[in-house]
Amino acid sequence: MDKMKLMLVDDEERYLLTTAKLMEKKGIEVVTAQSGSQALDLLKTHDVHVVILDIKMPGMDGFKTLRAIKTLYPPVEVIFLTGHATMDSAVEGLQFGAFDYVMKPADIDDIVNKAYEAFEKRLRLDEKIRGLTSGSEMDPYDDK
Amino acid sequence: MDKKNVAENNRARRVKRNILTNMIVIPLIPLFLAVGISFYYFTTALENSSTHSLKRIVGDHRDMIESFLMERKSDLEMVTHLFDFESISRNQVIDDMFEVLKTKSGAFIDLGLFDSRGLHVKYSGQYQLTGKLYKDEFWFREVMEKGRYISDVFLGYRNVPHFIIAVKKGEGENAWILRATIDTLYFDRLVSSVRIGSSGEAYILNKNGIAQTGRRSGGVNVMEEDPEFSAFPSSDSTIHTFLKSDPQGVKYLYATTWLKDLEWLLVVRQEKKDAFRFFYYALYASLVIMVLGIAIIVGMSFFMTEKLFTRMEQLGRDKKDLGNQLIRATQLAEVGEMAAGFAHEINNPLQIIKSEHALITSIFDDLFENKKIDREDEEILELQDSLSQIELQVSRCSDITRAILKFGRKNETRVQLLHPAEEIPEILKMIEQKASVEGIAVFQRIPEHLPGFMGDASQFQQVMLNLFNNAIDAIMEQHPDAGGRLDIQGQLKDEKRVEIRVTDNGAGIQPEHIEKVFSPFFTTKPVGKGTGLGLSVCYGIIESFGGTMDVTSRVNEGTTFIITLPMAEAEMQDQ
Repeated sequence: MDKMKLMLVDDEERYLLTTAKLMEKKGIEVVTAQSGSQALDLLKTHDVHVVILDIKMPGMDGFKTLRAIKTLYPPVEVIFLTGHATMDSAVEGLQFGAFDYVMKPADIDDIVNKAYEAFEKRLRLDEKIRGLTSGSEMDPYDDK
Repeated sequence: MDKKNVAENNRARRVKRNILTNMIVIPLIPLFLAVGISFYYFTTALENSSTHSLKRIVGDHRDMIESFLMERKSDLEMVTHLFDFESISRNQVIDDMFEVLKTKSGAFIDLGLFDSRGLHVKYSGQYQLTGKLYKDEFWFREVMEKGRYISDVFLGYRNVPHFIIAVKKGEGENAWILRATIDTLYFDRLVSSVRIGSSGEAYILNKNGIAQTGRRSGGVNVMEEDPEFSAFPSSDSTIHTFLKSDPQGVKYLYATTWLKDLEWLLVVRQEKKDAFRFFYYALYASLVIMVLGIAIIVGMSFFMTEKLFTRMEQLGRDKKDLGNQLIRATQLAEVGEMAAGFAHEINNPLQIIKSEHALITSIFDDLFENKKIDREDEEILELQDSLSQIELQVSRCSDITRAILKFGRKNETRVQLLHPAEEIPEILKMIEQKASVEGIAVFQRIPEHLPGFMGDASQFQQVMLNLFNNAIDAIMEQHPDAGGRLDIQGQLKDEKRVEIRVTDNGAGIQPEHIEKVFSPFFTTKPVGKGTGLGLSVCYGIIESFGGTMDVTSRVNEGTTFIITLPMAEAEMQDQ
């Protein structure tokens, strides 16, 4: 199995730092971003499987970021990290293609478990795409 | 509070008094006007008609008397034209004449013939007057001078009141006079034949005020002077009417007119209360209407004011209740919103603390694995213990923020028909164990057929559990060992609402706290034992079901929570 590459997006720097450390200990490759726009920049250069995205951020909020990610990088799975009050937008996020949401304050294990679920989905998707592109030249997969 | 109530009561009383006064006074104005004006015009019309009818009567009566006198005079004149002195002087002729005249009018009582010297030549009648000399008599001189004369009533030789009609024929030495006496009884009857009401009467006075006829009421007899005469209008031919008291003090309505060439005054009078009896009827009727009207208006005003006020007080109370509910709801909403924002912000640092804790734990695990520190080291154990406290306290914080967030927002709910008789026993099962351990007897009285209401089952469960747990806590405080009692009662409140009462015999709620029990963050429990959100959440839930929640309590006796819920529409049709 490939190693999971995960991106953490949150405006709390200390949270990013600690969580990144914890995840790396669990053998997950972690990229962190402090804002939605930084996340989009990093996605250009990093092949990330799963993004953990805080909804409430200054500037570009989690919701806008999700839509940008889903437009630019459709295979990337997104998990929302939400305070309770923004759960309505979390649910709306699910309709726009987020994989799931985790409620703050969340156990690191919960986040990791959800991330792995998303990662597996991503892998299955990659598998399918590979099958399609190698199996039939007649139905070429156009850069999706 | 008491002062305010007193002031409010005073104000209410003042308003009530004003309304009452207005309700009485305003309808009284048109009543007075209507009755007063109609009374005035009615009585004026009555007075006019009374006076007019009296005037008419006196006028007719005058004409009748005048024509009577004129006819009698004509009777005599006819005789003087038909006969001469010699023929009348013959024996028996005057008797025959008298007989003829009597057939014409019963008023004649005798007839006499006089020569120019005043000698009574012939006489027919019941007195012996033949041969008497009348030349100095007043009437004789008058008739000799004027040719005809009707006298006032006088006594004369016969010494009985009578009056005479005399007619002269011829001039100088050859003149002769025919004289007839008129029966005063007959004339009296004629004059007094006027009958008006019960007290009306007519009589004649001469120009000196001497009564020429008797009167029904007595008082002044024929030939007596009428003391009132001086007050009557002086001679003219018109009819006068006026009100006057007679010497006995009885008020009369008078009508007077002069007749017989202004020599006699015809008086017709009627007692005022008789003449104006319709006036008095009108007065009494008006008074009765007034009194009845006033009584009705006053009665109705009191009744209406009372009714109005009861209604107003009811409205006032309703308004106050509604106001309280609104304030409570607004408070809840505001506090809820604020709390939700606050909890949300707290969640971020909690998340970091949690991560840090996870990191520390993970680092410890690494250290143990690499044998860099000793798992049994006392200081390490202490650190581990402290670390687990951090985990515990963080999760406590997150419980609180979750509770707040849950209160501040609506979760996804599934509204369905719930029947108290099905739901409540299920919920009670969850606390049965706890209650029996604490020695609390649980009684439930919920009729099988009690209609259901619309709501979310888990929210309803939350409400009931909250109430049950509160009740158990309160009972524990009051009856720590045994003797606790928890009553759950379901019943119909009215045809549209069901009521659920949860009653305990616990410690009760202090009166100063009772208004705040539904306020968020209000708790009397020790710090850390309650968030103060339970009842306000319950209140919000019941409100979202369209119901209301209320509480009554007595310190040391117990508390009752009353939930009133609108009956489900489907159930209403079944009722």
